[in-house]
Amino acid sequence: MNGGDDGLDEIQAIFFEECAEGLAVAEQGLSAMAEGDVSKETIAGVFRAVHSIKGGSGAFGHTALQTFSHRFENVLDEVRGGKIVPDAAVTRIMLNAFDILSDHVAAAQNNGAPPADAAMMEQLDQVLANKGAAPAAAEPAPAPAPAADEFGFTPVAVSIEAIDDPFGFEPVTVSLDDMDGGPADWIVRFGPSRAALANGGEPVLLIRELERMGGTVTSVDLSALPPLAELDPEDSYCLWTVTVPGPVAEEDIRDCFDFVAPDSVIEIARAATATAVVSEPEAEPVFAPIAVVLEDIAPPAAPTPAPAPATPAPAPAARAAAEPPAQTIRVDLFKLDQLLNLVGELVIQGSILSDRLAPADQERVQLPQLARLTRQIQDNVMSLRAQPIKQAFSRVPRMLRDLMAETGKKVVLDTTGEGTEVDKGVLEKIGDPLTHMIRNAVDHGLESSEERIAAGKSPEGTIRLSAEQKGARIIVRVADDGRGIDRVRVRAKAIEKGIIAADAVLGDEEIDALICAPGFSTAETISNISGRGVGMDVVRSNVEALGGRVEIQSVPGQGTTFTMALPLTLAILDGMIVRLASQRYVLPLTNVVETVKPEPGQVKSVSPGSEVIELRDAYLPMRRMGDMFGVPPHLRRAPEESVVIVVESEAAGLVGLMVDTIDNRREVVIKSLEDNLYPIRGLGGATILGDGSIALILDIDALVASHGIHKFAPKGMAA
Amino acid sequence: MSNTHEADSDERKVVTFTLDNQMFGIDMTALIEIREWEEPTPLPGVPSFIKGVINLRGSVVPVVGLAERLGWTPSALHARSCVLVVSIDDKQCGFLIDQLADIVVIDTKEIQPAPAMDLTDENVISGLARIERRAMEKDEETEAMVLLLDIEALSLTRHLVDLAA
Repeated sequence: MNGGDDGLDEIQAIFFEECAEGLAVAEQGLSAMAEGDVSKETIAGVFRAVHSIKGGSGAFGHTALQTFSHRFENVLDEVRGGKIVPDAAVTRIMLNAFDILSDHVAAAQNNGAPPADAAMMEQLDQVLANKGAAPAAAEPAPAPAPAADEFGFTPVAVSIEAIDDPFGFEPVTVSLDDMDGGPADWIVRFGPSRAALANGGEPVLLIRELERMGGTVTSVDLSALPPLAELDPEDSYCLWTVTVPGPVAEEDIRDCFDFVAPDSVIEIARAATATAVVSEPEAEPVFAPIAVVLEDIAPPAAPTPAPAPATPAPAPAARAAAEPPAQTIRVDLFKLDQLLNLVGELVIQGSILSDRLAPADQERVQLPQLARLTRQIQDNVMSLRAQPIKQAFSRVPRMLRDLMAETGKKVVLDTTGEGTEVDKGVLEKIGDPLTHMIRNAVDHGLESSEERIAAGKSPEGTIRLSAEQKGARIIVRVADDGRGIDRVRVRAKAIEKGIIAADAVLGDEEIDALICAPGFSTAETISNISGRGVGMDVVRSNVEALGGRVEIQSVPGQGTTFTMALPLTLAILDGMIVRLASQRYVLPLTNVVETVKPEPGQVKSVSPGSEVIELRDAYLPMRRMGDMFGVPPHLRRAPEESVVIVVESEAAGLVGLMVDTIDNRREVVIKSLEDNLYPIRGLGGATILGDGSIALILDIDALVASHGIHKFAPKGMAA
Repeated sequence: MSNTHEADSDERKVVTFTLDNQMFGIDMTALIEIREWEEPTPLPGVPSFIKGVINLRGSVVPVVGLAERLGWTPSALHARSCVLVVSIDDKQCGFLIDQLADIVVIDTKEIQPAPAMDLTDENVISGLARIERRAMEKDEETEAMVLLLDIEALSLTRHLVDLAA
């Protein structure tokens, strides 16, 4: 199955994407079950997720994964059917099984060795054997009035129970009551939809599968076949009727159709003797025929589930309740980005119009309305890229379980604000910082159970993970109720590592911030959890690379809170537009502290090429942007004719930046320089202003950390 | 965007232009468009042949003084100065040229390999060809030599790698 077929690889990639989604759903469901939510929907959700992983893994030949997920699914199926009670013990086993399942998926994806799962399968089988001995009766089924359908079958008892397939259509279980003697043959009618063929479904394989069970194709209905001229080679017109021997379990037949697009015609019914074309001679004519119809819930043209036509809908209310939560569509991210770019263009064109038209003309052509609409489109497109932060949070419970096993500490996780939406780009980049923060909290923040009891706390530590939106920022917090930062030790360590001078006078917050200093690690012994010496400084640099900030609050004995403030999107920046020698530049507003119009004498030289500005009795270093950007002398302005913007940078603290004038403040769409060039030190990108001209976006940290134009060098060219 | 694929075809379409009175040509397949010169936004800390960036329908595209890049006398700006926007390695780049000449079809058999000589350290000339020069003022046809540029060797990021090496 590892043939270098690009198409297959692509489908594989989609499969693994679906696996990741399925695992997230399963984990969430199992965690909810561990917390006591054993509702049908929750269990069914987990079952469905594992079930579709199994199906896909079979199709791609990941046998180890398939085998394991099959065992897991067996247990889930029984839980779902109420035959196994999902008590704490069973849930724990399922959670462990889930962990192994994720390892299996990872192994299959990376062509790695599958994890050791024998013990786990054994456990699962035991669960199945011990509890699965409950009455084997089928689910209670209502007995709707039999109604003959167009094929002459009489549907008998149908109960809608739980969603049972990866496509979100309702499975229908059937009770086979009142059966005398051996069962009648199955009549299976199968007509693949256009979508089924488009998905790469191969009807022949399905029919072979049925034949393997002893089935025989008895007829092919070609009545739908159009004249040759109208024949669409990509559509399907055949409707096969296959007779399968009665003793075959209905479940097995249905399994064959697991991954067929939901709008295909799939009917599985017991044959009335009259219609049993090929049947065992002993078939008794007294059997009540039973029809199961899995049908057109979502016809291709209609995105919303339409009521099943013609076929009996025994429990409309149940059907409505079991409706899939939301219709989704997979879109290539590149297409979204293109759309976002185009909308950005539209916004720019709009501001070009408003620059060029007098206010009266703007009203006349309804420009404000257009601008509002454009803005709405932009917001909408941005929201398409937004994803709930749950995706990043869902990794945490598993990580905590591993950490608990490694450290022997007991941790309770409390998560809030999982629904907060963040741009996908941001979301992809907060995973690593989040992992480090959680590891750090468990390893360094929380005490052992004994220590906690001695300190009068509950033996279980708590980690609170929260997300919320504040203005244009997303605030993610990781708070523990552990021992807090040991400032004496942190200080000693920082001095030892040469990060601060031995006599440095530091406030509590400054000491706390030291744990984010590069190369700082307080663990006495390097643990394999977080003491790799690349902990919190990586968190800080990652977050800052996203245009965010990390803050630490700590109360000795009560715990530590790490706060990440992240931008909502990486595509738009709130900036201050400044002018220098007829060019415009954008300063990220997050860096701007204040602006000053220097009085004569306020700017003083301390050495050639090095100046300070006096500000409320303090002296701040000041840089002339004209020097940094090599503006020719005749275009430079004196400090009295300039504006100094006080910016805050990580590297150099508060610094004054001298520019000619300030234009205004606005949101700008960030265009990367790397797209067509290479990154340039001191620049965070470029943007296109209302008049179509380009303004460079300044990277304040890189800018003030370097000392002038000579330090500017394209990354990679520095050597 | 494929660049210089000419598997079977015997002919190449080439856009010709002058730099410092020399005639150069690049493959039409790499050409995106020809624009009038507009003053680009200057960039700090880049080699002097990178004139800055322009807004090409929402993309920020660098403009390179091609003459300077190739070591010839830098182009003097004039009313008909123009910029050839080309695609190199999926990146867009504008080349400032002295004057646009023509679009010609060159038989690949007529292309001579570039003599292995000085030029610069990197060989940016992929071949030489003779073309009939369209009459400018006089009614006579003359022949001229075209230096065919290897567009991929002009990649700004490739140059970056070269410098770092």
